[in-house]
Amino acid sequence: MADAAAARLRRFHGIDRAAPVWILAAAALLLLILLPLGWLAYLSVGGEHGFTLAHYARVFSDLPLRRALWNTVVLAFWSGLLALAIGAPLAWLSARTDLPGRRLIQRLILASFVTPPFLGAFAWVMLAGPNAGYLNRLYRGLTGAEGPLLNIFTMPGLIFVVAIYTFPYVYIMIANTLGLIASDLEDAASILGAGRLQVARTITLPMVLPAVVSGFILAVLQALALFGSPAILALPAGFHTVTTQLWAFFQYPPRVEMAAAFSIPLLLATALLLLAQKQLLGRRGYAAIGGKGAARRPIPLGRWRIPALAMVLAVLACAVFLPYGILLKAAFSRAWAQPLTWDNVTLENWSFTFLYSSTQSAIVNTIELGVLTACVGAALATLLAYVTNRKLVRGHQVLGFLALAPVVIPGVVLAVALFIAYTRPPFLLYGTLWILFLAYLTKEMPVGYSQADATLRGIHPELEEAGRILGAGRLRVLWEITAPLAKSGIIATWCFVFIGVIRELSASIILFTPNTKVMSVVIFDLKEEGQFGAIAVLGIFMLAMTFATVALMQTLLGRDVLSGRQSSGAG
Amino acid sequence: MSRRRLLIPLLLLTLASFTAPASAQDPRLEAAKKEGKVVWYTSLALSSSEKVAKMFETAYPGVKVEVNRTGSQRILQRMMQELQSNIRNVDVVHTSDAGHFVLLKEKKLLMHYTPAGVDAFAAGFKDRDGFHYGLRATVNVIAYNTKLVTAAEAPRTWKDLLDPKWKGKLVTAHPGYSGVIATHVLALVHLYGWDYFKALAQNKPMLVQSAVDPSGIVASGERPVAVNGGDYTFYQAKKKGNPVEIVFPKEGVPLVVSPSAITSFAPHPNAARLFTDFIFTRDVQQVLADTEGLYTGHPGVKYGSDRPKLQDLKLLPVDPEELEKRNEEIKSRFVEFFGA
Amino acid sequence: MPGVTITGLARRFGDVAAVAGLDLAVRPGELVALLGPSGCGKTTTLRLVAGFLAPEAGEIRVGDRVLSSPTAVIPPERRRMAMIFQSYALWPHMTVAQNVAYGLRWGDVPRSERERRVEEMLRVVQLAGYGGRYPGELSGGQQQRVAVARALVVEPEILLLDEPLSNLDASLREEMRFEIRRLHEQFGITTIYVTHDQAEAMVISDRVAVLQHGRVAQIGTAAEIFERPRTRFVAEFIGRTNLIDGVADGPRSVTRGRLQVLVAAEGLAHGAPAVVSIRPHQISLEPAAVPDTPTGSSTPHGVNRWAGLVTRASYLGDAVDYQVTLAESDVVLRVSGPAPPRVGAGQAVVLTVPRGACVLLPAAD
Repeated sequence: MADAAAARLRRFHGIDRAAPVWILAAAALLLLILLPLGWLAYLSVGGEHGFTLAHYARVFSDLPLRRALWNTVVLAFWSGLLALAIGAPLAWLSARTDLPGRRLIQRLILASFVTPPFLGAFAWVMLAGPNAGYLNRLYRGLTGAEGPLLNIFTMPGLIFVVAIYTFPYVYIMIANTLGLIASDLEDAASILGAGRLQVARTITLPMVLPAVVSGFILAVLQALALFGSPAILALPAGFHTVTTQLWAFFQYPPRVEMAAAFSIPLLLATALLLLAQKQLLGRRGYAAIGGKGAARRPIPLGRWRIPALAMVLAVLACAVFLPYGILLKAAFSRAWAQPLTWDNVTLENWSFTFLYSSTQSAIVNTIELGVLTACVGAALATLLAYVTNRKLVRGHQVLGFLALAPVVIPGVVLAVALFIAYTRPPFLLYGTLWILFLAYLTKEMPVGYSQADATLRGIHPELEEAGRILGAGRLRVLWEITAPLAKSGIIATWCFVFIGVIRELSASIILFTPNTKVMSVVIFDLKEEGQFGAIAVLGIFMLAMTFATVALMQTLLGRDVLSGRQSSGAG
Repeated sequence: MSRRRLLIPLLLLTLASFTAPASAQDPRLEAAKKEGKVVWYTSLALSSSEKVAKMFETAYPGVKVEVNRTGSQRILQRMMQELQSNIRNVDVVHTSDAGHFVLLKEKKLLMHYTPAGVDAFAAGFKDRDGFHYGLRATVNVIAYNTKLVTAAEAPRTWKDLLDPKWKGKLVTAHPGYSGVIATHVLALVHLYGWDYFKALAQNKPMLVQSAVDPSGIVASGERPVAVNGGDYTFYQAKKKGNPVEIVFPKEGVPLVVSPSAITSFAPHPNAARLFTDFIFTRDVQQVLADTEGLYTGHPGVKYGSDRPKLQDLKLLPVDPEELEKRNEEIKSRFVEFFGA
Repeated sequence: MPGVTITGLARRFGDVAAVAGLDLAVRPGELVALLGPSGCGKTTTLRLVAGFLAPEAGEIRVGDRVLSSPTAVIPPERRRMAMIFQSYALWPHMTVAQNVAYGLRWGDVPRSERERRVEEMLRVVQLAGYGGRYPGELSGGQQQRVAVARALVVEPEILLLDEPLSNLDASLREEMRFEIRRLHEQFGITTIYVTHDQAEAMVISDRVAVLQHGRVAQIGTAAEIFERPRTRFVAEFIGRTNLIDGVADGPRSVTRGRLQVLVAAEGLAHGAPAVVSIRPHQISLEPAAVPDTPTGSSTPHGVNRWAGLVTRASYLGDAVDYQVTLAESDVVLRVSGPAPPRVGAGQAVVLTVPRGACVLLPAAD
């Protein structure tokens, strides 16, 4: 009797000490997400005389708003399709054939992955603006034609630019799944008489289909949430998307209730798409991990080598070579549209940009926010992942769900919600860096959490149980045993969050004030001034920061960033 | 006539007040140094604003100028948003939408302050109640790229722009961003009504935001003709060697006087006053005229012979009160015709 | 029905020689088991035969067709073979019937014929009526039978099995061993069967090839391998054995210290080092009857008789495992005797071993 009571008491003490940490983390998460969303919903039905559906009515009756909704649907669907058309063949070529230079190609796709789409859009303006665009001038010079070859200020132009920066999502999803399909399944088909392409068609393709659809959905989700590319390419052509329209609602006088009501359709659409994706991946999870995992035989391309390589290079040219090239040119030219002759080369843009007072404070703000968000985000995500993986509180599934929930909220919508929540008491955070911090933390939580979750899954609970049975408490075990083992994963989490923060635009553009500008906002501002040289300089600087972080992550951890698996064999 | 006789003594007085020894400024300079900086929300082109800021910092070391440049409409939006959240950040506000200042004055957000020497300014540059004064002026003009359009083909009137031959070749800035453009739109609505813009939209102009932008677009050749924009921006582009030419349309050019004022809640009032005085001095105004190609209200400023003088132009003035009242209409109807 | 001839096969992975000069001849219609510890090269050999790997040296023939050589490898889909994988490799997105029918699609079999053959084969493996189910809905044993059906329905020339039973539980494994043997006898396909379980190899195969370090150490029937191992490795790998290291002291005997062993060999060179292998169950054990029974060893009529002391007797239910230290020797022998135990630890015993059970192994291995 006494023993049982003593045991219970000991257990009680054990739980008691650790519990506040988990509860605090859970509460922080709830506050982070539910508070702004609550305000958003509340305001969308708020009118002068109380509850009203008038705003929603306007959303669907007002012609320009309906057009914006339709444009968004068109953009998301077609760019998703195009991203699929680019990403899927590339994934297959990379994972299954003897395409030369696969490692280099993967690195370049990574470059496309970390390039902020708005920077790419901007570079493409310089490349394919119908009159001054570099490619068009080349075309006119070579053929003597009057009109342009490409006009980037059109819906197809926008779809193109969005697709070349969202296809890496499709690529990663499909390439990873291809890697997970046990080689046995394909060998079994081979030995029964199916040729290489027949195996690909009857075995590999059906098994990778859920990943294909999932990748498409992911690309569509990205396209839905983009702000920078539509702002740069659609507005000059005279059409809005939902994100740019939301931003326009914040012109003076701000029509916050309309913004709130207009956000909801976007929110619902993303939620539905994510649900569909989950269903697809969950139920028919074909990733059969088993068998002896023998080395795969790559499919020889033979005479298709050159065309395949050409296609890959064309894609990479569009996503990386051409845009980076023109950015470099613009950064060093007096007049970006003029050829790069000696008297056009200048370092003026560099001095102007970095001496421009806004730039300096923006760079400082960006780095501060990046570091702060990454540290807090990585810590919070790891704690949450720990709680859910070790099932420490009842309802831990809800926590996991909440941690991933923000992926449903497009950046602009999140900003609207945060604006509403934090421009009124009790938390008056507008005008400070804190509101940006909250936006970034919320937005990057899903990425951080997935990474932390994957890391902790790889650490067997028995390692901690061995410590606890020897007398160490939960928190001590977490600090001394789990954390060192999870170190590389936590650093990866940190890097992902950091990169996400420094390139964030869609939330920053609504929440910033002149005192709290960040780099992406300054770039956007400069675009409105037509300061191409300065934009190129800042853009290059931002890319350099990103690549430095990626390089750091790869050397420190020896991991293959895209595949998420260790590239060496080291545990 | 009588004005010219008063001019010289007035000039001398102004010069005197400016070249007065620093001792007259000392108390304010000290106070300003203590405050450390002046926060300036300005819609003047970035390079021009930065230049003015550097001039001030050189003349008054120890007081920094924080330049926040964005379009006129955005400046107002920022200010109001900040005020709503109880943020008091801005000292000196300067936009190109005269209507804004009507609004701000009404809301008692401006400080009553008359910069030294400003009584000599032309009438259109002074607020009769003494809250704001015109820092600069520009006129909306048509501009074209000389490499792509010959002088003979170039449009000579606002109406010429409606010709279908210009389809796909035009660029316009946006009244939703820029005060200069809002003024332009209202002036043309007075001339030809909203049908003008309906017809102009048929030519599918490229949409940019700032009144500074069209000059870059025309200079690069992206679009050969700009249907509006501050003349000073084209003038600057031309001076840099770009193939840009300005047309002052026969019907007249909308005059845009860009006021400047100190806010009633300025966190750095002394620095603000010091700065305001500075930017209305002849030297600074002359710089604005010379290198930036702006018109000013200062009587002592000399203009180059390569530009028409304000009094030689047929000006289309716009009433600031009307600009303020019809601001929403201007923006929404523009969006209605042009799409975004 | 052709046989498989492998000559001088070699293949490296990095620095490791997985297969190092392997020779094997599988007769038509024969089932040969490739048996060995992990790392011995059996799976690599199988994959080389299947055509998933290319040899660096050597040749693989089926009948008189050369299928693999360092210069050319006929791809797996054209080798007319079938393979059953350890993981079964059933395609989860296809029904059982579609899985089984897969190989038939690439031949010239018309659809109606295909259906008939699939149904027939499902009946053979006792899965009639399961055609519409998905692999995920079947038990491990049922999945395995689908894999078998899929391989047999295409009537391959050569059948390859890669440890197909190791994912099953013990009783099912036993049952399936006999099932596979029965199917082999019914269809008579030349088969190569890879396993690390020697009991399985011995039950299932016509001949067992024991592999070590990428080579065949010994090939023979189960009885040959067991009773007349030719190397130390084989002797120790197959069943348990006692090994005595000694020196030949006559044409037919080996001594170690004061122990003399009559062996089943002739013409030994005097003084040559020799290793003798004796299986535990071939040693008879009797309690030493009378105190004055001759101690030491004697060899009346070509039978080894040794005196010893029992140091441990372990009761295993159906047998007893004795550990006996021989008198005047350092040799300790394991003896397997019937239950119930006749002696306990500490008791003196007499061991009897016929010379035929003392197999001489080459001293070096």
